[in-house]
Amino acid sequence: MADRSFSISRLPGFATIAVIVFVLLYLPIAMLVIFSFNAGDSVAIWEGFSLRWYPEAWQNEAVKAATLRSLQVATAASLIATGVATMAALGTTRRRATRGQSFVYVMINQPLMVPEIVTGVALLIFFSSIKVITGYQGLGYLILAHAAFCTPFAYLPIRARLEGMDLALETAAADLYASPWQTFRHVTLPLVMPGAVAGLMLAFVTSLDDVVITEFVKSAGQDTLPTYMLAQIRRSVSADINAISTLLLLLTVVLLTAFFLLTRKRT
Amino acid sequence: MSTPMDPKARAEVRRGWLLSAPALVLLAVGASGPLLIMLVYSFLEAGQYGNVEWVISFKAWFNVVMTRDIFDGTLGFADAHLTIFWRSAKLAFLTTVFCFVVGFPTAWFIATRTPSMRTALLFLITIPFWTNLLIRTFAINQIIRNEGFLNTGLLYLGIIKEPIVMLYTDFAVFIGMTYVYLPLMVLPLFAAIDRFDMRLLQAGYDLYASRWQLLRHVIVPVVKPGIISGSILVFIPALGAYVTPRILGGGRNMMIGNFIELQFGQGRNWPLGAALSVVLLVIVSVALIVYTRFATGGQDKSHG
Amino acid sequence: MSNDVAVEARAACKVYGQGAGAVTALGGVSLVIRKGEFFTLLGPSGCGKTTLLKLIAGFESPSSGQILLDGQDITFDPPNTRPVNTVFQSYALFPHLTVAENIGFGLKMLGRPKAEVAETVTRMLALVRLEKMADRKPVQLSGGQQQRVALARALAPAPKVLLLDEPLSALDLKLRKEMQIELKRLQVETGITFIFVTHDQEEALTMSDRIGVMQAGHLLQVGDPRTIYTRPANRFVASFIGESNFLTGTLSGSDLTLDAGPRMPVERADNAPVSGHVTAAIRPEQIRISSDAGSGIAAKVLDTVYFGTDTHCVLALSDGTEITVRLQSPVSGDVGLQTGSQVTLTFEPGALIVLPEVA
Ligand SMILES: Nc1ncnc2c1ncn2[C@@H]1O[C@H](COP(=O)(O)OP(=O)(O)O)[C@@H](O)[C@H]1O
Ligand SMILES: [Mg+2]
Repeated sequence: MADRSFSISRLPGFATIAVIVFVLLYLPIAMLVIFSFNAGDSVAIWEGFSLRWYPEAWQNEAVKAATLRSLQVATAASLIATGVATMAALGTTRRRATRGQSFVYVMINQPLMVPEIVTGVALLIFFSSIKVITGYQGLGYLILAHAAFCTPFAYLPIRARLEGMDLALETAAADLYASPWQTFRHVTLPLVMPGAVAGLMLAFVTSLDDVVITEFVKSAGQDTLPTYMLAQIRRSVSADINAISTLLLLLTVVLLTAFFLLTRKRT
Repeated sequence: MSTPMDPKARAEVRRGWLLSAPALVLLAVGASGPLLIMLVYSFLEAGQYGNVEWVISFKAWFNVVMTRDIFDGTLGFADAHLTIFWRSAKLAFLTTVFCFVVGFPTAWFIATRTPSMRTALLFLITIPFWTNLLIRTFAINQIIRNEGFLNTGLLYLGIIKEPIVMLYTDFAVFIGMTYVYLPLMVLPLFAAIDRFDMRLLQAGYDLYASRWQLLRHVIVPVVKPGIISGSILVFIPALGAYVTPRILGGGRNMMIGNFIELQFGQGRNWPLGAALSVVLLVIVSVALIVYTRFATGGQDKSHG
Repeated sequence: MSNDVAVEARAACKVYGQGAGAVTALGGVSLVIRKGEFFTLLGPSGCGKTTLLKLIAGFESPSSGQILLDGQDITFDPPNTRPVNTVFQSYALFPHLTVAENIGFGLKMLGRPKAEVAETVTRMLALVRLEKMADRKPVQLSGGQQQRVALARALAPAPKVLLLDEPLSALDLKLRKEMQIELKRLQVETGITFIFVTHDQEEALTMSDRIGVMQAGHLLQVGDPRTIYTRPANRFVASFIGESNFLTGTLSGSDLTLDAGPRMPVERADNAPVSGHVTAAIRPEQIRISSDAGSGIAAKVLDTVYFGTDTHCVLALSDGTEITVRLQSPVSGDVGLQTGSQVTLTFEPGALIVLPEVA
């Protein structure tokens, strides 16, 4: 690290801009959270503290249904994504780089490179044909789409974890009479676990937050919380949206903090 | 690459493929494959009630830039489309530039803190990055709407007599996109600055450079890869933005994303929507290729 | 006879890769390691020591040749079926398991009853003096402690052969000396055959019952430390193990007429020529310097370098050959050899050994 007593790295105005950026980054979110506890229904004039918007939001059947659907889709999609990502990470790390490996890498990361709107459109087109052919209208489409774009988010921490793992550990297990299955069960799996949990959380958050792809893929009456909110915001702004947003934010921050602690511990 | 492998290595490669297969299938069905179907759709006729007629046609592609006058049938540029393209490009570009202007000092500030402070600030930047884009855009909406916090405050202070109309303008979209995409600029910039050797500054000062000259001739060239990554990471989603223009730009100030959506809703022109999506995808791919060429100095290619 | 043999390699070859990029790591090594001995594989980095260990452990299979354990062909057995354990250079301790769980891992995989595992773990902890560390994770241990856990883990299943791949190379000098003694003690106490790999010749000489010297995928010489040191089989062994001076001359009978003049008595290494122009080796500490001109080899002092306990004196013979002599540094003052002065070199009969011609 540079010698800071010189303050050689200080550039004029930078600190001021940075502080303003941090304030402005959190101010709108803070306002939103604060006004979710507003007694009145204004989003600008404080009329006293109240928790009324929370039960009010929850009593709305549409909100309840959308919340449950969001959780259902996020749970299923993140579990699938983590499962396939773990397997892929096991198949692509800890060995000599090959051409096939970078192909897998590109395929998995493809959703990160394509604008969401394009993926949404493509899935709309594809699934509309499937719906006609099979007649199936269920949540499966949403889960499949979410699982696909959550896979890169699950894959990254798992891969990072595996790459940091000493290859000799598995050799050592074999040396100590562990069969290939025992080696996986007692050595590889426990060591991958923190990465997989981290991946699961990132995938879950990613799925929970998705608006665009869900908007295109969902059938009628399949609103998730974000698409429900999108529709509501367009119509009118009522303060119960603030309450829902606050809860969603809270969930994200909790999961992210857990992720942060989980991935930091090993270094 | 084509050196023959011993059986052990070959078994390992086969195992790698087997393990990767579920992910590959999932992504082929849920991401890559549909892109190809979309390409096919862009060459079909629009159906009357949405969807398509299975007739090969270049009409959609033609319609991307040209239009036939409804009255006299003459050929002309599709001004409405071009306006939307132009607005999208302009807004995405402005967003990128402004994100850099405020993101660079922020990243620099973070990189020059003590390690524990640095971790904390990075976490603060990361949280908005992961929190719901919709909620963040909505938060901006609430601040700048006519009856929002900003106007109410200014009215209360007597600075203005009438609320300033900010919502549903290009300016609102620009502010909103800067707000939501800023973390994507700060994180790669930080990574680059973090690797910057501060002793270069000592050398620079030693050679009579002013702070401004240092910034211009030493810092910016050295952290250029970070600048390119950050710019691409902001530009790509900004160009394809859908949520932010929808919530802050309203119906009139559309960007490509909203225009594409329109083709699948009221517009009932799926092939045009597909063609526009392909155009967007191509622009983004070009940007990504430029990115891998410049940001990584072309080194990544040798790993193939 | 054969039930005295622990491990045998028969013409073991290992080629990595194929075609133009192929690397021959082992070029046909045949070796017999006896039960209960401390055998060291010694050679420079890249000579194939690790590869030979991997063939014995089963992590790799030979391109050709055989590996036998207790007289049985185990060439293609997977590692988890071989009663052989390894102490890895990186230790490879399982980071998610405690010290005790690490040590008990092998027995658990073998499906031994819990009580037996617990009992063995306790015994092993005592053996490596880590009783108090049983519930720690590897990251909470010092390098030397990790090393001892790795040892205990490999010894716990009571293998027929213990393989140690440069286990001490990550330790600092003082700890390394301690662990050398500790390893030797463990080997004597357990009676297990140790195959120890090192590129450090001093380590090999002090610890081993027998040493196998390797170079470029071949085994050059096998013997006890004294034989290896005093009767090196060729020029490579002579210079890799300890230091050597090389003199040329014409051999007739048991006398060598040096190119630099005098006629000296010599011994012959195995396979050394019986006559003709030959190379002979002599250790720097076996040469004495006297300032009076007498019977011996005339030389001129070029330089003296102080090394603490030793002082090295570099001299030139009349034909230009450079010779290094190692002298004990006197308590006070220097060795009293002026640069440029003329001296006479002498040595005991048998110190100068004629080496085989390089093939
Ligand atoms: N997996 C491998 N693939 C290709 N070459 C290898 C491999 N392992 C070792 N080698 C090569 O084989 C030779 C012997 O290696 P090794 O047995 O590790 O030597 P040592 O342990 O004596 O340093 C070296 O040239 C090394 O580069
Ligand atoms: Mg080695």
